[in-house]
Amino acid sequence: MSLLEYALIGGILYGIFFALVAVGLNLIFGVMRIINIAHGQFVLLGGYGAFLLTSRAHLNPLYGVPLAVLGAIVVGVPLFRAVVPRLQKSSNPEMLSFILFFGIAQMIDAVLIMVFGADQRSLPQDALGAGSITVFGQSFPDSWWVASAASLLVLAGLYLYFNRTRLGFATRAIMASRDEALATGIDVERVSMISFVIGLALAGTAGVFVPYLLGSISPDIGNELTTTSFAVIIIGSLGNPLGTGIGGLVFGIGTLVMQTFFPSWSNLVPYALLVLIVLVRPAGLLGKSVRVT
Amino acid sequence: MKASAITLGVIGAAFLIAPHVYGNRTLLFSMMAFIVLAQGLNLLYGFTGYLPFGYVGFFGTGAYTTSLMVLHSHLPVLLCVVAGGVGACIVALILGPLLRLSGAYFSIANLAASQILYNVVSNQDLSKITGGPYGLKIDQVYDPSASYFTMLVILLVATGLAAYFRFSRFGMALRAMNQDPTSAAMAGIDVVRNRLIVWLVSASVAGLAGGAYAWNLSVFYPDAVFTLQISVFAIVFALFGGVGTVLGPVIGAIVLYALYNAVGISAPQYFEFIYGFLIVVLVLFLPNGLMSLLARRGVRVI
Amino acid sequence: MLSEPLLKLDGVVKRFGGLVALDGVSFSVAPSEIVGLVGPNGSGKTTAINIISGTYHADAGSVLFEGARIDRVPAFRRVPLGINRTFQVPKPFAAMTVRENIAVAAYFGARVPVEIDAVLAEIDLAGHADVLASQLTVNQQKRLDLGRALATQPKLLLIDEIGAGLNPSELNTIADLLLRLAARGIALIVVEHVLDFLNRIANRVIVLSAGRMLFEGRLEDASRNADVVAAFIGG
Repeated sequence: MSLLEYALIGGILYGIFFALVAVGLNLIFGVMRIINIAHGQFVLLGGYGAFLLTSRAHLNPLYGVPLAVLGAIVVGVPLFRAVVPRLQKSSNPEMLSFILFFGIAQMIDAVLIMVFGADQRSLPQDALGAGSITVFGQSFPDSWWVASAASLLVLAGLYLYFNRTRLGFATRAIMASRDEALATGIDVERVSMISFVIGLALAGTAGVFVPYLLGSISPDIGNELTTTSFAVIIIGSLGNPLGTGIGGLVFGIGTLVMQTFFPSWSNLVPYALLVLIVLVRPAGLLGKSVRVT
Repeated sequence: MKASAITLGVIGAAFLIAPHVYGNRTLLFSMMAFIVLAQGLNLLYGFTGYLPFGYVGFFGTGAYTTSLMVLHSHLPVLLCVVAGGVGACIVALILGPLLRLSGAYFSIANLAASQILYNVVSNQDLSKITGGPYGLKIDQVYDPSASYFTMLVILLVATGLAAYFRFSRFGMALRAMNQDPTSAAMAGIDVVRNRLIVWLVSASVAGLAGGAYAWNLSVFYPDAVFTLQISVFAIVFALFGGVGTVLGPVIGAIVLYALYNAVGISAPQYFEFIYGFLIVVLVLFLPNGLMSLLARRGVRVI
Repeated sequence: MLSEPLLKLDGVVKRFGGLVALDGVSFSVAPSEIVGLVGPNGSGKTTAINIISGTYHADAGSVLFEGARIDRVPAFRRVPLGINRTFQVPKPFAAMTVRENIAVAAYFGARVPVEIDAVLAEIDLAGHADVLASQLTVNQQKRLDLGRALATQPKLLLIDEIGAGLNPSELNTIADLLLRLAARGIALIVVEHVLDFLNRIANRVIVLSAGRMLFEGRLEDASRNADVVAAFIGG
């Protein structure tokens, strides 16, 4: 029975973290209806940023978080300006932006391999705490707890942002109805750009902790991170950032259970979940459908 | 119609003569495989707007079906290759419900489905059946000549199908469906059935290519036939050449694959970067590919 | 002289989540009839059209066409049976020419071979046969929509607010066209807000309000009916 307990508690920790990984993608989609299929690559950028901090500058990887935010602004603003207005005016913004970000994903993957090589890189284990914490008789490394706590903090921050700040209200208004938001005088383009940058910052922040939760990072896991994020948010309902938490838990526990009992099949979990959910209940657990007719 | 026949003739002749002029048969073979994949993807994307990010899944299914048939049945190799197409078609039928999804969601779900196939096939636990991570060996039927010709035939079939989609009444129904599905229904068109037909055809083409590829290689790991890079190449080639046309994927694949081999083999990462950059530039400035450049000059492009 | 009605709706109910769009609507339409369908916004007119054309399926009740139930028949299969419609906002095949637009319907929706040129003449777009549908004016696109429907040789034609935005002379042209179609035996259900236009062509009128049928009879009598007036002023 303790194996199951391990899977459950570990799954919760894992799941909370993956809610953080996924939430940036959900935000960008909810506001701009753009599917950032390069999401996993931006997460990796955060992870490699933290790697550089620890290996070159000998700093604690937690400094990777402000670095991620800075990076999100430096990369996100010009990227948005160069690409989004053109896309919104095109014949098929949804598909074209999807393909475009796919191109960006390829570019980031290539750059990462060129700069860091294809091998796996890890971050120093003790940087986030050298020991482990035991709950209900199950032990998990400190880094897992730190990552989980950080995720909860960031998600709580997001909640406050959406419910207590003007920018957050404006963002929710756009998510509910872009046209109505325009009509009430909200500067939709500016708020969209800010949301885009926040989305990238969230991805990068999550990336700082990914090497701890997955053991290491390498350029080839970018796509896997993207599909996993999709699975998480589709389970919890696309466009609803708070549903991401539920999606994360379902995914986390599912993955840990598979890893514990059927390890060679645990790779399948995000993909199987995604296909199952879009076929059986595309609305996710909380929201709107994504079907054609 | 005549233009299509001429096109097929030219392509057929080119690839028949090429091995005598340019010695690297392996490269020519791979180029043909990629033309088929780009064309097969074009059948779906160019004529229904569904972009299968997991297109390589059908290629891999074909490769494995063919190989398993060679290993376990006493059918002649050619029939096993056909079985590869059938296998891919069956998988596509099972995945048919994905067509209910719109645009990007379809693409992602299709990508996930292809990853599922890859993970199942290469799973350690299934080594006895599928070879698992160790791949398959069918060198008892190794025949570079015959498999080359087979791939050429598949290429002509795929291109012929594109011509059919472009110029037939069925193609007209597809165009109508793309432009307005509700009006198309009120014009008597069975939108769901037509989409499914195109989906099955497109998958079968990839499956046939996978089968011929497996035959030609004779020894391969799951990675070789399920890697995302194959989907990426097919998408870039088709977009670059121009989807919805007959020649677009052919020219796109020939140009870019030749370039890749000339320059990129030694530095694959540079090429991955260039392909990514090319996709971005195409989407922003030339979403309808090379063929649209010609069309703008008034050239009648098929 | 009691003949089988061409179309018969019997207790049709349609719900969207909690909203009841149609609440037990029943009426019939005979061949060659022109029936007006009016009501305030949200009364269920377009929903009724969608149910008849097959875009939606009813939650309860039945839809009979030529005596046979068609409730579960998908839209594209109703076309060869003889049902077609126009759209409130015209939906042409934008990247195709006028001629191709008609050709699509003629190839896939007609029971017997159709003269495309004849249809073009009927909707008065013969001179624009090779123009792209996207380059037509809204009025021309409405006629193209009608042409597409006509090319499938319907027995019943559902016309959804064709009068909106047309000037009096354009309205007269369309009215004449619709009267000619009825004279040929085609039944028409015409959803309209422009009442003079309806007055010119409709034999009788059905008034819907909040998903229920409020009145059925002649247009002049409708405007004198207290319930009808209340529904329009209140909604």
